[in-house]
Amino acid sequence: MFWKGTARTARRSLEYAESVINTVREPLIVLDQDLRVVTVSRSFYEFFKVKPEETVGKLIYDLGNKQWDIPRLRELLETILPQKTTFDGYEVEHDFATIGRRTMLLNARQIQRVLGKERVILLAIEDITERKEIEAGLEKTRKELEVIKRAADETSEYAESVINTVREPLISLDQDLRVVTASRSFYEFFKVKPEETVGKLIYDLGNKQWDIPKLRELLETILPQKTTFDGYEVEHDFATIGRRTMLLNARQIQRVLGKERIILLAIEDITERKEIEAGLEKTRKELEVIKRAADETSEYAESVINTVREPLITLDQDLRVVTASRSFYEFFKVRPEETVGELIYDLGNKQWNIPKLRELLETILPQKTTFDGYEVEHQFATIGRRTMLLNARQIQRVLGKERIILLAIEDITERKETEAGLEKAHQELKELAGELERVARVKSEFLANMSHELRTPLNSINGFSEVLYDETFGPLNAKQKTYVNNVLTSGKHLLLLINQILDMAKVEAGKMTLLLSSVPMKSLAYEISQLLADMVSKKKLHVTLDIDEGLPSIEADELKIREVLYNLLSNAVKFTPEGGEIGMRVKRAGSEIETVIWDTGIGIAPENMDKLFEGFFRVDTPYSRLTEGTGLGLPLSKKLVELHGGSLSVESKGLGKGTSVRVALPIVPRGRK
Amino acid sequence: MSPRVLVVDDDSNNLMLEHDLLERAGFEVLEAGNATDAIAIARREKPDVIVMDVRLPDMRGSEAAKILREDKETRDIPIVFVTASVMPGGREELRGIPNTGFIGKPIDTRSFAEQIRRFCARDGQSMEPSHDK
Repeated sequence: MFWKGTARTARRSLEYAESVINTVREPLIVLDQDLRVVTVSRSFYEFFKVKPEETVGKLIYDLGNKQWDIPRLRELLETILPQKTTFDGYEVEHDFATIGRRTMLLNARQIQRVLGKERVILLAIEDITERKEIEAGLEKTRKELEVIKRAADETSEYAESVINTVREPLISLDQDLRVVTASRSFYEFFKVKPEETVGKLIYDLGNKQWDIPKLRELLETILPQKTTFDGYEVEHDFATIGRRTMLLNARQIQRVLGKERIILLAIEDITERKEIEAGLEKTRKELEVIKRAADETSEYAESVINTVREPLITLDQDLRVVTASRSFYEFFKVRPEETVGELIYDLGNKQWNIPKLRELLETILPQKTTFDGYEVEHQFATIGRRTMLLNARQIQRVLGKERIILLAIEDITERKETEAGLEKAHQELKELAGELERVARVKSEFLANMSHELRTPLNSINGFSEVLYDETFGPLNAKQKTYVNNVLTSGKHLLLLINQILDMAKVEAGKMTLLLSSVPMKSLAYEISQLLADMVSKKKLHVTLDIDEGLPSIEADELKIREVLYNLLSNAVKFTPEGGEIGMRVKRAGSEIETVIWDTGIGIAPENMDKLFEGFFRVDTPYSRLTEGTGLGLPLSKKLVELHGGSLSVESKGLGKGTSVRVALPIVPRGRK
Repeated sequence: MSPRVLVVDDDSNNLMLEHDLLERAGFEVLEAGNATDAIAIARREKPDVIVMDVRLPDMRGSEAAKILREDKETRDIPIVFVTASVMPGGREELRGIPNTGFIGKPIDTRSFAEQIRRFCARDGQSMEPSHDK
């Protein structure tokens, strides 16, 4: 019985439940444990545009052409619900095939079926798409509101920033005399912080230092009657800033929105101003004292004027002489009695009536109080033509309104002359340098031309004598052969001379260029000593060669080095008498190759040592005549060595004591390391 | 057949010296005392080689050489300049003229003819200038 009754009750309950399900506006769906549809509300069919026969018994995910196979729904049904029997407000946004993109709010319940052990899932589906849209609109409105509010805040901030900008401390109070806001200058001036100020009763501010009877009177008695009050003076001992006198200006303002009134209080510290006013009187009294002292100062100034070396003169506004320094009288040869009180232009028989001075005193000085370095050239009656440098100062007399002009006069005549002389000398020097350059160029051109002109006849002289000597066109007798050989030898000597002159000219004109290559010094030294073998054996000279093994090659112009060594060795041979000794020593010395060529020959007198390198046309030494040298070999050799960055020096202990020439050549030319 | 050489020099002594040396060495020698004559003779006779001074009375040897090089009749005749202008500037003007040589004055009479002969045999190449020291 009980069971039957219960069953009936249950069926009725179920019917009731189903009718509820069909009544509710929200789509509702009931799933079994396998997530298959048990029943569905009418609104579900209507909403999703599906029919019962394609719904009941189907897996939820397969409904309506699988449009329900939504990851978020799977998550809810398969992951969340097994753990929780209730789940509300689960939002799913999805593109449905039948109804388009919607946002659904799912509420799920897991229910134990009243009869039986299986559980069913009740899924209520609420379409909140429109609600979401409304909410989004609301959010937008809220944001717009915020913008408006921010604008309002900014306006308020602007007002506050104005308050903070004004220099005067400013404070606003509400009706209860509590601080609403204070300007930054207020905080700075009274050395208080905002947190100990805003909201406080004004009298309590800064350890009650504002509890001033006169302020109370203003705020409590006067202001309620008058909305405006200016120039209210309060003198008070402030704890933080000491005794000050404050000038208070007050305004009572009706707040725009709202009925309360606020009081704006501007506080001006007039302590200093008060003090200045007080001081003014004192100053006036002190001025009296100063005036007395000024006379003494004037005397002192005059003594200074008389002490300086430069002529100095003071003029009044009318350009009459007030005083002049002793040096002025001395320099211009005038006396005080004909000077003081006179117009400056009239001084010394009107000799100061100079247009440029008038210009300075009448045009320039009225516009500028200071003028330095004004140059005036003038023919003075007493001292002749001079150039003066004028420095002028316009001075306000300490007491009184007139101005005086201080004029310092410096005679720069000599200095100008020196300068002019210097300029002239400089100009002359420049001309001279130009002339020298021109001469050097002419010399160089002349030498080039001369070389050409001399070679042309030498071509004939040497050529024909060589052909004759060689007996190309027939034999000569012994004397003829000797003569023509003499012609040839002289011609060759002349050619050597021309070549050396030309080389000297090239070196001096900076036109000699080096053709650098790797020069093996050891073999070169032997080779050149070999070239002189004939001459050496003819004079029966004893030769000592001391050439280091393992000498490095040097970077140099081989032809020129060859020429240098040949010149020096042939000099040694030439200047050493028969049976004498000569030698060459070559070794490495640091980064250089040192070659010493020595002989036991005629040597060099100390007084001729300097002339050795003068060369060029100074070939007329006592020794050059004895021999066949050109006299240009040594100076040219020195130049060629120096062109390589090396050095050449000559030593001799004197006449008849031999000579030694030292040549040092860098292994790598300087500047190329 | 003996080679033919045209010698150009305004100095009659030099002209004679070079003439004699070359003739002695087996050349057939033609002579000119200025550039204009030299160009005319070269066109007419087409010598195997021209030996020419640089400083000539009517024009520079280099100018004469350019004229010879522009004429297809004389374009390929080798030219040896014999000059007393041994300064670097003197050689500069001769650079770039094809098929030319350079001998400095004074000449070496013992090797002069041989130098010319050697040059005569070459073609299209520049000769090493000789040193006269």
